[in-house]
Amino acid sequence: MSTSTVIADAVPPPWADGPYSVKRHGVSITNCDSEPVQTPGCVQGHGALLVLAQSSLTILQASENSDAVLGRAATDLLGRPVAEILGKEGAAHLADFVAREPIHHNPLHVLTLPARADLTQPLDVSVHAVDGVVILEFEATGHGTGEEPDYFSLIKRTIARLQRVATTTELFAIATDEVRELTGIDRAMVYRFHADGHGEVIAESRRADLPSWKGFHYPAEDIPLPAREVFKRTWLRPVPDVSAPLAELVPLARPDTGGPLQMTWCMLRGPSVMYTEYLRNMGVTASLTMAIRRGEELWGLIACHHYAGPKHVPHPVRAACELVAQIVSIELRGTEEREHLAYRLKMEGVHNDLVMQAAQEGGLAAMMDGRPELLDGLHASGAALFHRERWWKSGRTPTDAQLDALANWLATRPEFERLTRPVYVTDSLARDYPPGAEFAEIASGLLAFSLSISRRSLLLWFRPETIQTVHWGGNPHDMPTVMGPHGPRLTPRTSFELFKESVRQRSLPWLPVEVDAAVRLRMLVLELVVGRAERLAELNADLARSNDELDAFAYVVSHDLKEPLRGIYKYAHQMIEELPALQDEQRRKLDRLVRLSVRMDGLLDSLLHYSRVGRTTLALEEVDLNEIVREAMEMVDSRVTDQRTLVVPRRLPAILCDRARCREIFTNLFSNALKYNESVNKTIEVGALVPGHPARPVGAPAEASGETIYYVRDNGIGIDPSHFEQVFKMFKRLHGRDEYGGGTGAGLPIVKRLVERHGGQIWPDSALGAGTTMYFTLSAREVGP
Amino acid sequence: MVRADPLPIVLVVVEDSDDDFDTVREAVEKVNLRAEVWRAETGGEGLALLQKAVPGRPALVLMDLNTPGYDGRRALTSIKTDRVLRLVPVVVFSGSADPRDVGYCYEQGANAYHVKSVRYPDYLSTLTDLISYWLGRVTLATATP
Repeated sequence: MSTSTVIADAVPPPWADGPYSVKRHGVSITNCDSEPVQTPGCVQGHGALLVLAQSSLTILQASENSDAVLGRAATDLLGRPVAEILGKEGAAHLADFVAREPIHHNPLHVLTLPARADLTQPLDVSVHAVDGVVILEFEATGHGTGEEPDYFSLIKRTIARLQRVATTTELFAIATDEVRELTGIDRAMVYRFHADGHGEVIAESRRADLPSWKGFHYPAEDIPLPAREVFKRTWLRPVPDVSAPLAELVPLARPDTGGPLQMTWCMLRGPSVMYTEYLRNMGVTASLTMAIRRGEELWGLIACHHYAGPKHVPHPVRAACELVAQIVSIELRGTEEREHLAYRLKMEGVHNDLVMQAAQEGGLAAMMDGRPELLDGLHASGAALFHRERWWKSGRTPTDAQLDALANWLATRPEFERLTRPVYVTDSLARDYPPGAEFAEIASGLLAFSLSISRRSLLLWFRPETIQTVHWGGNPHDMPTVMGPHGPRLTPRTSFELFKESVRQRSLPWLPVEVDAAVRLRMLVLELVVGRAERLAELNADLARSNDELDAFAYVVSHDLKEPLRGIYKYAHQMIEELPALQDEQRRKLDRLVRLSVRMDGLLDSLLHYSRVGRTTLALEEVDLNEIVREAMEMVDSRVTDQRTLVVPRRLPAILCDRARCREIFTNLFSNALKYNESVNKTIEVGALVPGHPARPVGAPAEASGETIYYVRDNGIGIDPSHFEQVFKMFKRLHGRDEYGGGTGAGLPIVKRLVERHGGQIWPDSALGAGTTMYFTLSAREVGP
Repeated sequence: MVRADPLPIVLVVVEDSDDDFDTVREAVEKVNLRAEVWRAETGGEGLALLQKAVPGRPALVLMDLNTPGYDGRRALTSIKTDRVLRLVPVVVFSGSADPRDVGYCYEQGANAYHVKSVRYPDYLSTLTDLISYWLGRVTLATATP
């Protein structure tokens, strides 16, 4: 069924030269959305309709079946007073009723005509006014006199039960049960319209032998727009016999206006052939439909189907059903709000727990693999978090590569720039992002927010394509279909095929309450992140302060200690010089005192130097490492007279660093390489390994991954790997203090500090007797002091 | 102008450590100069001694940097910004080998910078050398240009 109105406008309809009659023109209708369903010009054949002039109550129009229902041919009735049908008393009552009661657009039961000579059965008569005329509708009461059930008690019970419900599920279950019980109809369903117009059976009460349709979805086209418009204006629509013949009005046009009769509020209004055919194709013999409205919006329908022949629902029962529909509509809002509240509270509870979890475990990833996890909150089939340069996934999600591309695209979305609700929401990702078609099956719906301005952290929820998750009412595999008298055009099979296209690459929409929950989760996470960053900054500041203080303290202390040390040395020296008669033992002790003073002086110098490295600002400049290495080699203690070879396999790069301190790194490393070396030819190799170089060490720390790694390799005595940590500790020596030319044990700690001041890392690779390689990085940026 | 019975020249020593000051005295004795040694324990005292001395008499200031109170750094700056006092050579004698201290002192106009060695013989010989050099060989200014 095409919904194109362009075609309808371009080609004049077949009834263009007179009023529309569903009986005459209905079969030719191919476009449901242009059918004038409110002016069908016909009534359902089980009842009769009279149109009266409002002032005189004389008959202007009569349905062509008047002879069968009322015992008088329609043509006989035209221009006659209504008393000829209702009797004098009835006519007087009607005149009084019309004057007093609110009958405008509102059919009310005015009287019941008892069976009489010309009436085979008693008839209920209802009346309403429209466009200056009064419409009388005659229908069989469906029962003899005096045996009416106590409708009042039934309705009272129904209302009481409807008002006690807590959930919409309960509300609809009771409504369908009550309607079926009141009417005795075979199947009563609550049919809900989704945001895209398609419908879903969400509640059902049925004869035990019928298959369930609950959970089935139906295309939006199954209930065309004109029909929906009618249900915004009327509460109830009975079709007691879908096979009943249609009875046209005589005359078809209103004699007073020449136009069609407005039949929106007529219970007998002739149904669209499309509709009855659709019902008949499903095996339905009678139907009763009620509107469920939320405010002005048509929220859904209570749709009742009967399969065992015609089903006439008497006037009082219809009134009761109408009341049920109205109560459901009123209760719906409150119940839905309660449900949303419950859902919101559940989501918030889960989200609070997630953030707590993340805070305790110190990482957002805890939201994805802990208990509860992200998918326990908002209804979604998959979720993904991009954090710390990797994806954390849960449920069904696109692949990492697809997510990477999606994240890049999301980074360009203007939604993330918004100050309030910076969230991207869609139920059809492929429409905004064509590559999304590739994974539409699992992620047609996307709800995404970014956790940082740089967008390096993203949280995404996914929903699958609707077609993957729901049962289609029209799916040929689910339901047998019966071919109608006009061919297959109105079978559910046809509309299903059309509909499949309309919901391709679409998910169920995200509820406002879900978007709210996502926005709130974002705030919670941001608070957590900001809080952590603040604490970290505080800790860093504290650490920097205490480091500074420690350095300053070390400086002052070592400086002040030097003064008494000079005194100790001096007096020991003077005693040796000035006391000629010293015994050897005394002389030995004084010598020892002098040597210890010198040693302590060396330690203090190292400490001063070490603290100075931490305290001074780096003077960064572009420096050619080849020069630095050459200078460092020249500066290394020249007392080492053994043969030495410096190997630089490839030319070193020029880098940004502090020239003097960088040179110090190399002099210290060279000095160690020569000092702890017993080879005859002491060899030092210096090199730089750019990222991706095959010779890069496997044990490099993660921080070095994007950096050039430098190395100084020797053929010395090597370091036992168990001592790797020790060598960088201040004053820690692996050898006796007089072995390997002595030393204070400050060289490598100072090197480490210099490297770290340059934002780098240093780590050794060695084994006893296998030489040592010192690897280090020098990030271009300065860190500290 | 003929100088009648000239007063001995003065060596001003700013030094808070008695042991270090002793070593200076030993050095002066060893050089055998006719000179008075005036001691100040802080930079401030040293500056005061210079200010009350007859201009031209103080021939050399030996300045320790890390004295209590008004320290040697400030005294150095004050001396070298004073129109008259700045003619007196100031030799810094400090325990600090920090390049920043060295740089600072030369920048302020120190005439030399020596690091006190813990090795007494080195320490003493450095002192005798510099005293005999500054008080014996160098021609000092006697008037502002």
